[in-house]
Amino acid sequence: MNPFSYTRATDPQQATQATATNASAKFLAGGTNLIDLMKMGVERPTQLVDVNRLSLAQIEELPNGCGVRIGALARNSDVAQHPLIVQRYPVLSQALLAGASPQLRNLATTGGNLLQRTRCYYFYDPAFPQCNKRNPGSGCGALNGFNRIHAILGQSEQCIATNPSDMNVALAALDAVVQVQSAKGTRSIPIADFHRLPGDTPNVDTNLQADELITAVDLPAIPFATRSHYLKVRDRASYAFALVSVAVALDVQNGRINAARVALGGVAHKAWRAQKAEAALVGKTAGEKAFRAAAETELAAAKGYKHNSFKIELAKRAMVRALSTVAQMT
Amino acid sequence: MAETVNILGPARNRVDGRLKVTGAAKYSVEFQVPNCAYGWTVESNVAKGKILSIDTKSAQAAPGVLAIVTHLNAPKPKEPAAKKHRGQTDGIRNEERVPFSDDEIHYAGQYVALVVAKTIEQARYAASLVKVSYAPEEPLLTMNAAKSSATKPKGSFGPVQIKKGDVDLPLKGTSLTKIEQIYTTPTETHNPIEMSGTIAAWDRDDKLTLYDATQFVKGVQSVIARAWNLPIENVRVICPFVGGAFGCKGAVWPHVFAAAMGAKAAGVPVKMHVTRRNMFVGTGHRTPTTQTIALAATRDGKLRAMRHVSHIATSPVGDHVESCGARSTGMMYESPAIQVEETLHKINVASTTFMRAPGECPGTYALECAMDELAYALKMDPVQLRLTNYADNHPVKNVPFSAKHLKECYQVGAEKFGWAKRNPQPRSMRDGDLLGGWGMATKTYPAHKMEAAAKVMLRADGSATVQCAAHDLGTGAYTALTQIASEQLGVPFEKVKFELGDTDFPFGPVAGGSNTTGTVGTAIHEVAQLLHKALADLAVKDSESPLYNLSSNDIAMIAPGHIGSKIDNKKSDAYIDILRRAGRGSIEVQSELKEPEENKKMAFQSFGADFVEVKIDPLLPRVQVTRVVSVINCGRVVTFKPARNQIIGGINMGIGMALMEATEYDPQTGLPATRNLADYHVVTNADAPVIDVTFVGEPDFAFNPIGCRGIGEIGITGAAAAVASAIYHATGKRVRDLPITPDKLMDIA
Repeated sequence: MNPFSYTRATDPQQATQATATNASAKFLAGGTNLIDLMKMGVERPTQLVDVNRLSLAQIEELPNGCGVRIGALARNSDVAQHPLIVQRYPVLSQALLAGASPQLRNLATTGGNLLQRTRCYYFYDPAFPQCNKRNPGSGCGALNGFNRIHAILGQSEQCIATNPSDMNVALAALDAVVQVQSAKGTRSIPIADFHRLPGDTPNVDTNLQADELITAVDLPAIPFATRSHYLKVRDRASYAFALVSVAVALDVQNGRINAARVALGGVAHKAWRAQKAEAALVGKTAGEKAFRAAAETELAAAKGYKHNSFKIELAKRAMVRALSTVAQMT
Repeated sequence: MAETVNILGPARNRVDGRLKVTGAAKYSVEFQVPNCAYGWTVESNVAKGKILSIDTKSAQAAPGVLAIVTHLNAPKPKEPAAKKHRGQTDGIRNEERVPFSDDEIHYAGQYVALVVAKTIEQARYAASLVKVSYAPEEPLLTMNAAKSSATKPKGSFGPVQIKKGDVDLPLKGTSLTKIEQIYTTPTETHNPIEMSGTIAAWDRDDKLTLYDATQFVKGVQSVIARAWNLPIENVRVICPFVGGAFGCKGAVWPHVFAAAMGAKAAGVPVKMHVTRRNMFVGTGHRTPTTQTIALAATRDGKLRAMRHVSHIATSPVGDHVESCGARSTGMMYESPAIQVEETLHKINVASTTFMRAPGECPGTYALECAMDELAYALKMDPVQLRLTNYADNHPVKNVPFSAKHLKECYQVGAEKFGWAKRNPQPRSMRDGDLLGGWGMATKTYPAHKMEAAAKVMLRADGSATVQCAAHDLGTGAYTALTQIASEQLGVPFEKVKFELGDTDFPFGPVAGGSNTTGTVGTAIHEVAQLLHKALADLAVKDSESPLYNLSSNDIAMIAPGHIGSKIDNKKSDAYIDILRRAGRGSIEVQSELKEPEENKKMAFQSFGADFVEVKIDPLLPRVQVTRVVSVINCGRVVTFKPARNQIIGGINMGIGMALMEATEYDPQTGLPATRNLADYHVVTNADAPVIDVTFVGEPDFAFNPIGCRGIGEIGITGAAAAVASAIYHATGKRVRDLPITPDKLMDIA
C-alpha cells in the first residue's frame, strides 16, 4: 500500500477544499472498495479525506412531492430498509439487498456505491500487464483473456469491463439525479450522464470531477415505481456479482403499457438504460410477446466474446422475466 | 445383514468451542513474538523464463525495510538433503524447489523476492517498489499443450496404474451395453478461512521456532531441520489451532522456507501471512482433470469391463499425483476386467497438492456419473445397478472388505429420501415452473493408518493430560481424542486435557487421509495399557492394596478409574488411591513410535451413498440443491456432532465442486484470474441445502482398536456426481464439464 496522509473532514466545504488543492486526494466513505483497491496497488491516493463525519446520511422527502433525497453517506442497509424506499421504490431496495453481504452493506454508502469500480480481473490485479483502465495504453487483457463476466453492450476495443453495482441499475431505471459539490459550487448530474461508456478513455469511469463530492442522490417522484422489481441472475444464491440483472418499473393501464423503465446490470461499463426496449414497450399489451420483442430490440446490438456470449440470451430472458413479474403485480 | 450397533459415540460439544467463539484460541500468525518483522513477497507475472535482473534499490531505501531476499542473496538451506527420505515421519513437500534458489521461473505467481520490514504496510509498499525483469519463454499452460512430455507416474500411496483382466474385448464387442464419456474438472483451490502463515524466530544460528499453520508439525520440523542441517530437536513447530486446511497445509510450501530465510537475513523474527490471493499459487490446489470412462455391462447390468483413463497436472517443480482411477474405479465394483491409467502433465501453473479426498473426489465424480449414464442406457434404476455390481471383496486386491455395509447405505438412504417415488424419465418431476431432479451416487474413502505415539500424565486428583503432536484442523479432533482418552484411560471426559500441535510432544502423523482419530486413538489405546500397567506395578507392591502381590500381568482396567484382577473380579483398586498411598502426585508414561501393523488379508474402506434433489428454473438456469440424504459406513463414530459436521461440510464442498468452484486462469499470462473469495465461488449458506446424515454399520475392530476408519474426506466423494446426475434427471442434459454454471444449461429451456 502506498503511503498516504489521512484527514477527517467536518463539513463539505472543508472536504472539497482538500480535493481542490490535491488532485490525488480521495474521499473515504465506507471504504469497502477503495481500501481493497489501495491494498492491491490499483488506487494510489496520496491523501484520504474521511467524509464519514459529514451530516449526509439522511433519507428524506423532497419538498412539494418532488421525490426522495438519499444522503450520500446513507448506508446501503439503511437505504434498503427505509420505508420511503421500500414503499415507493421497491426496485432500489431489492437491488441493494441483492448486493454484497450484510456486513458490506452496513458499511457501504450511497455515494461510494456510485463510484464502485469494475470487478474485471485484469483491472483488479496489477500483476496483469494489460489494462487500459488501470494503465492507459497497456491494452485490454480481457479482450482475449478470461472474459466470462464482461460486457456485451456499449464496450470498446479498449475496454470490455462492466460496472458491478446493483444499486446503479435501479438508479438508472429511476432517473436518479446525483447532487455534487466542490469548492466551485454545486451541480446536478442526471444518472444517465454520471457514468461513462469506455470509448477510448476507459480510465475515466464517471463525469464526476476529481474535486467534487457527492452529497446526495435524488429520486424523482414516479408513482408507478411502486410496481417495480429487481432481478439478479448470478452463479450462486448469494454474495456474487450479477451475470446479468434487470431493474424494471411499469405503468400498465387495462393491460396496456403506458410507461416502462428498464435498466440492465452486468452487461456494460455503466448501468444500461434500455431505452430501445422501453420505446418498444410503450403502447403494447403487457405480455410475454411484447416483452420478448422489446428484449430482442435492446440486445440486437449486443456483442459477446469467448466466454460471455451466453449473457446475450440470458439478458433477454431476464428482461422478460422481470417485466412479467412487474406486469403481474396488482 | 448386520444391524446397526453401537457405532455412535456421545454427541459432545467441542472442548475448544468456547475458546474459539471467544477468540481465545490462538492461531499461528496470532502469536506475539518480540521484535517481530513482517514479510511480503514479490511474485513473477511471467509463467516461464529466467529472471534477468532484480532492482531492489528503491525498495531497500523505503521506510522500515530490514532485508530483501532474492535468489542472488538468499541464505540458502541445503536443499538436496530435504529431497530425500520421504517416509511418513519425514514430512511432505509437493514442490521440490526451495524458493529463491535460482533464476528459473516455473509458473506465474512464483515468489521471486521477499521484503522484510518493521510493519506489514511498509513491507507491502516496499515490495511494490521491487522491479524484476525477465527473459520470458513460451509457457505450457494446459495439459493439452504439455502432452508431448507427459509421463505415467507411480503414486506414493498404492498403485496408480492398474490392469486386471482384458478390458479391450468387452469394450469392443457388440453384445454388451456400453458407455464411454469424458468428464472434466477444473482447478479447485482449498480456501480454508485461515490462510497459511508462518512466524519464524531464530535463536542464534542453530535454533529455530516456527509458529506455522500446518497439518503436520513433525513434518515441518523434519523438512526444515534437514534443509538447514540442524539437529531435529533444534527446530520447534507450534500449531495448537488450524482454521481449516483441506490439504493445503499438509506439505511444506515456499512461504515456510521464505519466513526462515527472511528471519535469518533480517536478524529478527519474521511473520509471513500468505494472502488470500497467494493461496491460489503458493499453497497448492487440486489438479484439473480430464477423465475418460468406458463401461461395458450385460443386459442385466453386470459389469464386464471398466476403463478409467485420467489426465492430471502439476508444475515443473511439483510431484503430486492425483490418483483418480485407482481410488474409484480400481476398488468400487465387481468387474472381471478393470483398467486404470493415469497420465501426469507438467505445466507452467503452480504446484498441485492434496485436496479433500485427493483422487477419490474427482475419481468418484467421473465414475459415478458414468454409472448413472450406464443405468439409463440399461433402463435400470441407478441404485439397482450399484447393487448388481456390489463388491464384497476388493475387486483388485481380491481380499474381503472389512465391515462393509454399503448395501445398508443404499437401502437406508433410498428409504429416507423416498427414492421409490422417483420417475426415472428426465424432466418428469416438475415443481410448478421449476424442473426437479433426483440423483444418487456412491461415496468411498480408504481407511489409512499411520504412526503415532502419546504421553499421558495421570494426577492424584484423578485428572489426566494426554499429549501427541497431532492436529485439529477445525474438524473436532480435540474433542474426539479427548473422548477416546477418557474411554481408554478410564478418566472422566471433563478431567481429560488433550494437548496437540507442538513438536515437543510425542510423534503425531500428518492430519491427512482421514487418519488422525484412528491413528492417534490407537496410540492413546497403547499408552492407556502402559498407564494401567504402571498403576498395577505400584499396586502389587503396596500391602494396603487389594491387588497386593498379584501379578501385574493379571491386572487391567475393570471400570473407569479402577484397575482390578482379571481373575478375581472382587479385587480392584482406584487410580487415585494407588497414587495417594504411593505418595505420588502424578504418574507419567509414554508409548513408543512404531510402524502400524498392516492386515493384508482384508481391505479397509469406508462407504456411503448420497441422494440429492435439485430444482432448476429452466429459463434462468442456476441450480439449487434443495435436499440431500447421506448415509455413511465408516466404522465407529467417536463423537457424533463433529462427525456429522464433517459429512455436511464435505457434501457442501461437493456441491460447490459440482456447481461453482473453479480457479480460472488467464490464457495469456497463466496467472489465476479468480483469486479471491468474491470471484472464486464456494457455497454460501443460501446455497447449502438441508443435509440429513445417518451413520450405519459396526465398529471396525479389525482395522484398529478404536473401530473407526476416519470421517474427514468421505463426505466430498460422490457428492458432485449425485448433483450432476440429479441435473440430468431434471433437465435431460448431461453436463460432463464441471462446474455446472448457468451458461452450460442455457439450452434446457
